[in-house]
Amino acid sequence: MVTVSRDTKFVHLAWQRDEKLLEKVKYPMGSDPTGRICRLFGVLDEASGLSLRGTFLISPQGTIMNSEVNFYNLGRNVEEILRKVVANKHLAASPAEACPAQWRKVGDLTLKPSAKMVGKVSEAMKK
Amino acid sequence: MEEHVCGLRVGQSVPDLKIETFDPVKGDFGEIDIAALGKAGKWTVLFFYPADFTFV
Repeated sequence: MVTVSRDTKFVHLAWQRDEKLLEKVKYPMGSDPTGRICRLFGVLDEASGLSLRGTFLISPQGTIMNSEVNFYNLGRNVEEILRKVVANKHLAASPAEACPAQWRKVGDLTLKPSAKMVGKVSEAMKK
Repeated sequence: MEEHVCGLRVGQSVPDLKIETFDPVKGDFGEIDIAALGKAGKWTVLFFYPADFTFV
């Protein structure tokens, strides 16, 4: 996990030391003063110069597996981000499987898409 | 990188990317290299937000 905003690393340091809620922060706080990285991921709001609340999951191979962008006034659900990380790791290890809607954790039912399942997803979900 | 004005999409590859950081664990400045993390088998979550000293 790496956080990114357009603040400099010096401001990150000051904020992390000042804000009690950030006392236990363990992740590196990335700095993008030019907006280059925000622009690369399409989250730079050119009107304000600020970054929107974008979340991107990148595989070890460097592929973007998931993206989500919220406007300024909606925070994110960390549990949902973790769910996506767990699901993507599981699917990378088991490429024949798929995690259906409402999949929450390893051990929950996965599907193995095949010709046999066409039109029979409801039956497959009951196993 | 200006060709990516519209933004990277799901399924696309991230180009070589190094990000300057403040690392609260070390209490020091550093640098994150997404490709190096990948070579170490790590997944990366990039978490963008508007500005420090605001809610996330």
